[in-house]
Amino acid sequence: MDVTIHFKEIDHKLYGYVEGEIDTFTASGLREELEAVKITEGLEIELDLSKVSYMDSTGLGIFVAFYKRAVREKGKVKLVGLSNRLQRLFEITGLSDLMDIETDKKVELR
Amino acid sequence: MASKSSVEIITEWDIVAARQLGRNEAKALGFGTVDQARITTAISELARNIYLYANIGRIEIERVDTETEKKIVVTATDQGPGIHDIRKVMEEGYSTSGGVGAGLPGVKRLMDSLEVQSVIGEGTTIRAEKWLR
Amino acid sequence: MAALGREKMKQLEAQYKKILADYIVNQTEKNLYIAQNFTRQLIQKNISPEDVISIHKNAIAEIFPDRMNEAQPAYDFLIEVMVHYGMAHREHQSLLQKQAEYEMEMKIATSIQKALLKTHIPKLSTVDIGMLSVPARKMNGDYVHFFYHRDDYLSVAVTDVVGKGVPAALCMSMVKYGLETLEYAYKEPSYVLEVINRVIEKGVDDSMFVSMFYGCLDTQRNMFSYASAGHEPALHYNAKQDQFVALEAKGLLLGVLPNTKYTYQEVILEDNDIITMMTDGVTEFRGNDHLNSRQIITSVIRDNKYLSAQQLCQLLYREIEKIHGFDLSDDFTVVILKK
Repeated sequence: MDVTIHFKEIDHKLYGYVEGEIDTFTASGLREELEAVKITEGLEIELDLSKVSYMDSTGLGIFVAFYKRAVREKGKVKLVGLSNRLQRLFEITGLSDLMDIETDKKVELR
Repeated sequence: MASKSSVEIITEWDIVAARQLGRNEAKALGFGTVDQARITTAISELARNIYLYANIGRIEIERVDTETEKKIVVTATDQGPGIHDIRKVMEEGYSTSGGVGAGLPGVKRLMDSLEVQSVIGEGTTIRAEKWLR
Repeated sequence: MAALGREKMKQLEAQYKKILADYIVNQTEKNLYIAQNFTRQLIQKNISPEDVISIHKNAIAEIFPDRMNEAQPAYDFLIEVMVHYGMAHREHQSLLQKQAEYEMEMKIATSIQKALLKTHIPKLSTVDIGMLSVPARKMNGDYVHFFYHRDDYLSVAVTDVVGKGVPAALCMSMVKYGLETLEYAYKEPSYVLEVINRVIEKGVDDSMFVSMFYGCLDTQRNMFSYASAGHEPALHYNAKQDQFVALEAKGLLLGVLPNTKYTYQEVILEDNDIITMMTDGVTEFRGNDHLNSRQIITSVIRDNKYLSAQQLCQLLYREIEKIHGFDLSDDFTVVILKK
């Protein structure tokens, strides 16, 4: 099982759709893809995790790193479509208070 | 006496032309079958690196035949990306990662000497010699 | 090989030719044994595969001069092949050697880590303490640290570094030394987390962080105070009511933001109460989503509450290992305190 991400830009907003299982072995590919995203001031980025079937703490680390970079470079990151399990992971780790997170978003524009 | 000739490496078939040139010169100088094979293989490796990683470059073959010195000098020049860490590409086992410096330890063993000069963004020059004993 | 002079080569060729000629005439095992010894000499002198073929070719040319016309191109062809083959083979060998070196270093690093991050389980008359930590791979990304003062205070830090293997182990050493600098401040869970957070935030990259559950038991007052930095809640078994309560304490992971504040909670421990602290290797059931990990853990503890704290840890490990088919994908760490 692997993890993929593809991006769409609509009205100056960047949408990323993540799909698959994110663990120690698949994480580095996703990390590279996210590191390659150019963040400009004011850019809004929405990452859809509704098709992420599993994520461990390494996966969490990737999103935290991406979030921290976005804050530094004055962009905005929002995570949407989190399953109950992912939601709980973000709650336990205290990240749900820090990051912009939305659960069970109706997936549009796909 | 010294004579120089060279082959531009643009397509894969130019690698064959470079090999042929090298073999002719090695033979003419008096190298035996085994050393001819070594020189040719070394040229082939250098030319292939140019073809794969630098797109365009040149293999120059110099035959030095004087009283005191008999040798083949192979010079591979390209305008490719250059090599970041020359010491690293000369390390055994590094070459599988690809790049202009691939397989240089092997080439060095086939020849008697090998020198690498490289400037990032400008290109690489590799000079290898084989002496006739 | 190239350094071997022409004279030496001629000598080898002469020897080889004689051995080969003898074999062609007699074809005995003795001939082959002599050939084997000769081969040893070739290897000692670092003769390359293509040279060996060349030696053979020249010997054949002298033994069967009339056959050479046909055979010559085939030999020359083989020499060409061998030059390249020898080069690639050597490259492969050196990669294997490199790998062996890495494995050796890894082994040393693992034993250093084990020594460095060894947890000493204290023995107190006032509380029964059990602890078990099993790494999924060679290096453990979980770490448990105890502090105690006589029989009066017991503090425990249960930590989990994100990721596994070497990077996690390096980060963990930092946590350990951070904890050791605390000295007398170990009784205040929120202060401890704030200090360790600063240590990690300064020292590591954006994607590296640590979760920690920190608890301190005051055995005089029977008070357990605790705080959490993004860690799994601990479980409190209340013996009198025969009930489990999750010790939730919200707090951000360590190493994410520089000045994170943490709050602590307190709970009274009565006789026979049990506190279970764990890492996500205990609660995470990947691929077995239908299983409720909390239910499994609580029923193991309730059904075996008369066991010692250490026995409970072992039993919990065995049960959960069984569920995972004896193949745990994450580091497994559990700490149990029994009043």
